[in-house]
Amino acid sequence: MKFQKKRCVAMLLAGGQGSRLLCLTENTAKPAVPFGGKYRIIDFPLSNCVNSGIDTVGILTQYQPLELNEYVGNGAPWGLNRNHGGVQILPPYQRSKRSEWYKGTANAIYQNIQFIDRYDPDDVIILSGDHIYKMDYAKMIDFHKDSGADCTIAVRNVPLEEASRFGIMNTNEDGSIYEFEEKPKKPKSTNASMGIYVFRWPVLRKFLIEDEEDPKSDNDFGKNVIPAMLNAGLKLFAYNFDSYWKDVGTIKSLWEANMDLLGENPEFDLGGKDKIYSRSPAMPAARLAASSVTANCLICEGSEIDGTVRDSVISYGCIIAEGAEVENSVLMPDVVVGPGAVVKNAIVGEGTVIGEGAQIGAAQVLKDESDRKITVIGKDHEIEAGALVKPGEVI
Amino acid sequence: MNAIGIIFSNIYDSALTELTRERTVASLPFAARYRQIDFTLSNMSNSGIQHIGIITKYNYRSLMDHLGSCAEWDLNLKNNGLVILAPYATSHSGIYRGKLEALYNSLDYLEHADEEYVVLSDSVSICAMDFNKVLQEHEDSGCDVTAVVTPFKNNQEKQFPIAVELDAKGNVRDMGVDVSIRDDFGGMGIYIMKRLDLIQAVRRCSIRGRYHLERDYLLREFNLSNISIHAYVFRGTVLFNFNTMDYYRNSMALLDPEVFHGIFNQRGLTIYTKVRDQAPTYFGEESRVDNCIVADGCRMLGSAEHSIIFRGVTIAKSAKVKDCILMQGCVISEGAELEGMILDKDVVVRPYTVLKGTREHPMIIEKGANV
Repeated sequence: MKFQKKRCVAMLLAGGQGSRLLCLTENTAKPAVPFGGKYRIIDFPLSNCVNSGIDTVGILTQYQPLELNEYVGNGAPWGLNRNHGGVQILPPYQRSKRSEWYKGTANAIYQNIQFIDRYDPDDVIILSGDHIYKMDYAKMIDFHKDSGADCTIAVRNVPLEEASRFGIMNTNEDGSIYEFEEKPKKPKSTNASMGIYVFRWPVLRKFLIEDEEDPKSDNDFGKNVIPAMLNAGLKLFAYNFDSYWKDVGTIKSLWEANMDLLGENPEFDLGGKDKIYSRSPAMPAARLAASSVTANCLICEGSEIDGTVRDSVISYGCIIAEGAEVENSVLMPDVVVGPGAVVKNAIVGEGTVIGEGAQIGAAQVLKDESDRKITVIGKDHEIEAGALVKPGEVI
Repeated sequence: MNAIGIIFSNIYDSALTELTRERTVASLPFAARYRQIDFTLSNMSNSGIQHIGIITKYNYRSLMDHLGSCAEWDLNLKNNGLVILAPYATSHSGIYRGKLEALYNSLDYLEHADEEYVVLSDSVSICAMDFNKVLQEHEDSGCDVTAVVTPFKNNQEKQFPIAVELDAKGNVRDMGVDVSIRDDFGGMGIYIMKRLDLIQAVRRCSIRGRYHLERDYLLREFNLSNISIHAYVFRGTVLFNFNTMDYYRNSMALLDPEVFHGIFNQRGLTIYTKVRDQAPTYFGEESRVDNCIVADGCRMLGSAEHSIIFRGVTIAKSAKVKDCILMQGCVISEGAELEGMILDKDVVVRPYTVLKGTREHPMIIEKGANV
């Protein structure tokens, strides 16, 4: 069968374990972790693709793929159920000569060269499944084409003191990259890589094959492929992106990114023209009882609020009973907070039930933001009535 | 389920006046995020009916837009699925006057089906119902037709399509049509019968110029002892939006958790609707929202009390809303005060405007108005 040519194919790296999200990724791949009330992290890159006119997306999965596969399904919620292209889940598979897991980010793409070749794309965009942002990839691809680059890397300015946590791109005035430093001790610039790459496919294809032949390589884009391209004297450009972007790889950053959704003019606006799509269950509208108090919070359909909610994100299907108090917290879908229970500075996993009068992360005095300890309760737990869960505890 | 479903989308249009000027009763928004047809359609889908025809008469564009590919109801099927039976007038038939005539226009659809039974339903009953139970009882009763009925409640005087008295077996002993007397049970506009029986009835009535399903077929044939009718008594929560006042009262009834859960929290009977991908609703620092039902995509910055808030509504700071139904996309500007109002879709209320109806006589503002 002849495949329709695609200008650009997106490859979404969704195989990471996300171990820094602790119990939240115990049985769930990081991209499938709920975010912002009715989304999962993967909705952001997927919706960005659709809103940027990219209709062919390969999702590379490896760790705990069940939930993610089920969630993505045929891609219909994102309009990616297409006859030509659409979304495809790409797990590692057995080949005639050998079979292996994805060894690194570059190896994951290498193992799927055939998938990309079928669409004969000009460019491939590599995305990662753990970032919260809205970005028009079409603009980045246009920039990539106009500059004639072999590879374009999205970068953003980070504070100098944080620069040593990132891969730093040192650029010339025209935006071309002359040096890449992975987590430098003494950063020369503050252009941090966002892990979003656009490659000319024939070029990337060649480098992936060479990288695979090098037994010493870690098969990683940042560590191996990008430096190899620089060494070979290829044209690499940095593409500046300074709108909201957040890596939600840690509990703290996941909590912060949820809090960034709050406010009349939030740091990150989920609404607006570029919608974020998600697979959402059919639930009735939220019911707010006469006894409810709601201040500065997001509340989704399917929730029933009899208690008090302040500065929090309440996902669909949550029940907050009378006298219960939820503050500075993120409740993932279908959480029940029993009568009189208190939840503060916490992330509560899907389906968890908090018993009557339980205290979650309650007695916390904050002199400074850095004092804040996020309490985390995993999926489907039952916290007994009257139980006391200390601030910062992880269950 | 071995049945085909037929839904009538235009019955009672006239009694809902302004609200159905540009839409069918079936596509009337209800319960903050649904259209009325979602309930019947979801009930059919949840009962395993996978072959459904929706009979329309006029103003059905909004209905078609709402249904789309019907994927939300799991009815985007290779075999059968959902069909909109739009009216077509030929040289020998005008646009239909009643259900029988409408069915006559769609006879080939009924004839080409191969299901044994047919479930006929209006789109004004708001409930969660399993039609399998109705069919089971119908088969057990041995009657020709089963009508779904609901017990009359005290002080309830409604114009039901039929009212019936039952014998000890639960079969109909006496019946009336379009009556508001306090009989034992009121019909919910839902009937089950054999498909071939219906086809025959439609043909026979049609050639005699009879077009009213309840009056010309059920009542007439029942009185002539030609058919027996069983009544399936539905004891769950049900609301009927026969007219504008019903619509308002029933909307407000949803604020009672018992009614709300009676319709929305029935196991295996989820109500589906079109997905709109709205962001979660934001409740501002100074918002006061008491006793409300609020859909996604709203910005609640002011105060709302005892109201139904559809998707994408904005209530600005210092705006006050009480006893209101605000449909999708309404904007209530700062300082505005609303009480006892029904705002159709996309109404913009300018700053400091005061609009007052009452709970007994809510005022309606038409779609897209700027007041």
